[in-house]
Amino acid sequence: MEKTRREFVKLVGGAALGAGALLAAGGKARAQTAPAKGVPAERVKIGAMPGLTGVIGVPGTAAWRATQIWADEVNAAGGILGRKVELHMEEETTAKECVERFKKLTLEKKCDVIVGLMSTGNGLAVGPLAEELGQLWLSWDGTTQKGVEETMPKTKFAFKSIDNEAEAIGGAILTAKYFPKIKTIAGINNDYSYGRDCWEAFQAVLKHFNPNVKAVEALWPKLGETDFTSHIAALKKAKPDLIMTSFWSGDVPILMKQAAAVGLFKTIKGCFTTGGGVHYTLKKEFTPDGLILGYNSMYFKWTDTWPLLTRFVKTYHDKYKEYPVYECDHAYFVLQAYKAAVEKCYSILGKWPTKEEIGKALSGIQVPSLSGYRGYREDNIMTCNFFMGITTHKNPYDFVTIDPVEVLTPSQIIKPTAGTKLYEWIKGWKS
Amino acid sequence: METIVSILFSGVFNASTLFLVAAGLQVVFGVQKVFNLACGSFYALGAYFGIVVVKSFVAGGFSKPLFILPLIGAGLLLGVIGPIVERGLIKFVYDRDETFQLLLTFAIVMMIEDVIKFIWGTSPQTTGGIDLIYGRLNLFGATLPVYNLVVILCSLIIAALIGYILLNTKFGRIIRATADKKEMGEALGINMKKVYIKVFTLGTVLGTLGGALVIPATAVVSEMGVELIVLAFAVVVIGGLGSMKGAFIGALIVGVLKSVAIFTYPELEMLTIYIIVIAVLVIKPQGLFGGSKV
Amino acid sequence: MKPWQEIMSLKSTKAIILIVVGLLFLGLPLFASQYVSYLMLTFFAYAIMVLGLNLLLGYTGLLSFGHAFFMAIGAYTAAFLTGKFSILYMEVILVVAVIISSLLAALIGLVCVRYIKIYFAMLTLAFGMLFYSFLLKFYYLTGGDEGMRVLRPYLLGFNLSEIPKMQFLTGNYYLYCFFVFALLVFVMWKIVSSPFGLCLKAIRDNPEKAEYLGISVKRYRWYAFIISGAYAAIGGALLAPAIGQVDPGLTYWTHSGTLVFMTLLGGFENFFGPLIGGVVYIFLQDKVMSLTTYWRFIFGAILAFLVIVAPGGIAGVISSLVKKEKRGE
Repeated sequence: MEKTRREFVKLVGGAALGAGALLAAGGKARAQTAPAKGVPAERVKIGAMPGLTGVIGVPGTAAWRATQIWADEVNAAGGILGRKVELHMEEETTAKECVERFKKLTLEKKCDVIVGLMSTGNGLAVGPLAEELGQLWLSWDGTTQKGVEETMPKTKFAFKSIDNEAEAIGGAILTAKYFPKIKTIAGINNDYSYGRDCWEAFQAVLKHFNPNVKAVEALWPKLGETDFTSHIAALKKAKPDLIMTSFWSGDVPILMKQAAAVGLFKTIKGCFTTGGGVHYTLKKEFTPDGLILGYNSMYFKWTDTWPLLTRFVKTYHDKYKEYPVYECDHAYFVLQAYKAAVEKCYSILGKWPTKEEIGKALSGIQVPSLSGYRGYREDNIMTCNFFMGITTHKNPYDFVTIDPVEVLTPSQIIKPTAGTKLYEWIKGWKS
Repeated sequence: METIVSILFSGVFNASTLFLVAAGLQVVFGVQKVFNLACGSFYALGAYFGIVVVKSFVAGGFSKPLFILPLIGAGLLLGVIGPIVERGLIKFVYDRDETFQLLLTFAIVMMIEDVIKFIWGTSPQTTGGIDLIYGRLNLFGATLPVYNLVVILCSLIIAALIGYILLNTKFGRIIRATADKKEMGEALGINMKKVYIKVFTLGTVLGTLGGALVIPATAVVSEMGVELIVLAFAVVVIGGLGSMKGAFIGALIVGVLKSVAIFTYPELEMLTIYIIVIAVLVIKPQGLFGGSKV
Repeated sequence: MKPWQEIMSLKSTKAIILIVVGLLFLGLPLFASQYVSYLMLTFFAYAIMVLGLNLLLGYTGLLSFGHAFFMAIGAYTAAFLTGKFSILYMEVILVVAVIISSLLAALIGLVCVRYIKIYFAMLTLAFGMLFYSFLLKFYYLTGGDEGMRVLRPYLLGFNLSEIPKMQFLTGNYYLYCFFVFALLVFVMWKIVSSPFGLCLKAIRDNPEKAEYLGISVKRYRWYAFIISGAYAAIGGALLAPAIGQVDPGLTYWTHSGTLVFMTLLGGFENFFGPLIGGVVYIFLQDKVMSLTTYWRFIFGAILAFLVIVAPGGIAGVISSLVKKEKRGE
């Protein structure tokens, strides 16, 4: 862990310099008012599909805001190769409606690229559609290991998100590191594919480090549950050494609050693999320090030496009075990747590339995003670092932050190819 | 012993909040025969508004443990939407088929959902840790938050108040007598219009108060109003449509049952509730205490 | 009476209008965009569903808040047959969907038709939500929240998988669905014009009198329930291949609410009302959702307006305009 972290800090330092140079250069060179040679004059149409209500509304709104901030920044700097961008938003709701909206954005609005979607089911519906329609789709979120394994091994137009159990894997790695002596665990996860997959992955990884760990309780409240008093009482009764949860939306502060009301985490350790998604709601009053908290791909206070992050956090906070969450980084990244792919193609072809060409350029690309460099693998699946740490009250906010900040790299927590079976990969770890 | 106390306590806490929403539903159905799907939405509004009030209260530097007073005030104050909705929308459909009334309340649910989104956005919100001020209680080894006890107590007081109103006041007598018999009420010279407004407001206040009271112990999330309807509906079916006693007992049953399910067989939480609802509707459709004809 | 109203009330005019509309639907893919044709395709499926719902609501006086349940049965049937059992013949899918939904409707109907009004609405809602929980819980079978894939079926035995997706949907599949839709409209028309249909109307208007006249109220409601369920399932089975994925959201109670909304919008006391409602709703939703994220508020307001001011829906408004003048003579 230490070695890779040092390596990464070096990488970041270099990248920061690089990013700084890029930004400076970008500011000057791209303030063109007219499109570059060989590039059409009309605006680039970017379709976006955020979920804006319900549990998905929290990260969805964040991603939509990040998309808009990116578009404003890019347009202020002259656009992509001199073409300004134009956003077309359609809400992500049910699978049936997502399919309709996707068709509309593709066929009616003639979008050049569509970004968005966070729900696994919707992703499974839209993925094949994107391939069939030849429409570039850059997903923000919503693929589980299973979804990636089964359906589309090699895509040309559909670019999927990170295998979602990465945070559970990271959580287990940190649990083994910081709480090596625990003997029993309990899980409280949402009763759907993500919750189930996270609990399985967490246990598998933890057992790799600590083979004698036992799970003494597993609870499955439905997504959208607002009262955990009974669940907390059941957890208390089971007396585990550590409680793991993959909650990622409004249920995190509720669980934390109701747990605080009975002092659950006074004697029991906790691992909130994805709680960072609502980190600014985890007020110090009811969130203890010493918990493992995961922020997925973006921790807003990761470093002061990465200007993209600093600038973004400021813009976001000034506009929305909230601190950004990981979905912002996913949303920002896909757009950065798209722009870079287009520019890469242009430098080779001398004209605006086709969707297929952009797709080829996206494979394997690495671009600077809000949390450092990240990219797409050759099999068109996202990779990025994950940020997790131990909660602390030592900060100027009214909510908790993490210290130390552990940066988990893809080689540690994401299985190497779409074809690899997750649990076989974990079994094959050397350390 | 600790387990039983835990199960009972969390079940009863669950039940208290359900009772308030269900009571709001019952009182309106009992008199106006309108099944108000928007009862959950009123609850959500009470919760959001409660947060605003508590935050201002604390920011204003007032004594923290007293927060429950402005909270109750917030719940009561928000009841003002009752007459607005009633006069503005509901009154037009009293003479219509029940199913139309149901659809109208469904429309209100949709509208309130977006109003909430417009005013407060989609991020979850809490009142912070203010409920922790009341501390904890240790009973037979089970730890119980005192605030939850306060909520249960408030629900009991409200239940008792409603019972008192229904049995001992003129207003209550009118409610019981004219339930379902509007013409008779009018024939007796009672101003049914005023009664309807009052009853609907009462129903609304029960919802908003319920939301406000509960919010310190939890957090508001988008669509909580829509989710709650399903549970409230289970409560009134089991208890019997139109019966206040039914709302009380029904809420207890659903609350405790849910708690028991979580402790023993968490997989079946929601399924159990639906099966019971269907079973009750089949075996005794009036529910345990409902009187009206099916 | 104004001349246009005179023409409107002629039976032959109605027939001509039907033929013209039918031809318009048939030829739509030729002159409309691919997306609009796709929306019309979904309309055919929804139209079949609301025809079934209206048999219950308009003709028998029963409001079901669980109609989406049967639609989901049809959709999941398509998913199971094409995905898990590799049975790709559309006709087989439709027949199986009808059989399964009729059986379920018969069972559930036995329970539900004993009650009316609010209780009927609530029971149907409960069954719909029970199925929702079931689909989520038994994820090994149903795919849970992720749902199941629906593969492209063979139409009339032809394997058309080589054709690009949008061409298939707006060409072959569109025609197929149109003809199924037209056929089912015809069948429903026959049903409601038959003595059976008249009995239903009698039951709706005055159940006690109908019972007195010897009509077994419960039995006829039961029949209506089964037919409406079968229609919904056909609609769901037709819709599923167009979407490509089925998920539990299809049976959530608010989806049933949408179906009721469509029926009410078009007018439930009229045979063609729900069809008008369906097409208006689909295209209206498409437009409004693009304009604002607060479309729920707008739709809620429209529904409230309908209920309070125009409960007869669009068809009601049109026919009252025609009748007004007639009576005024």
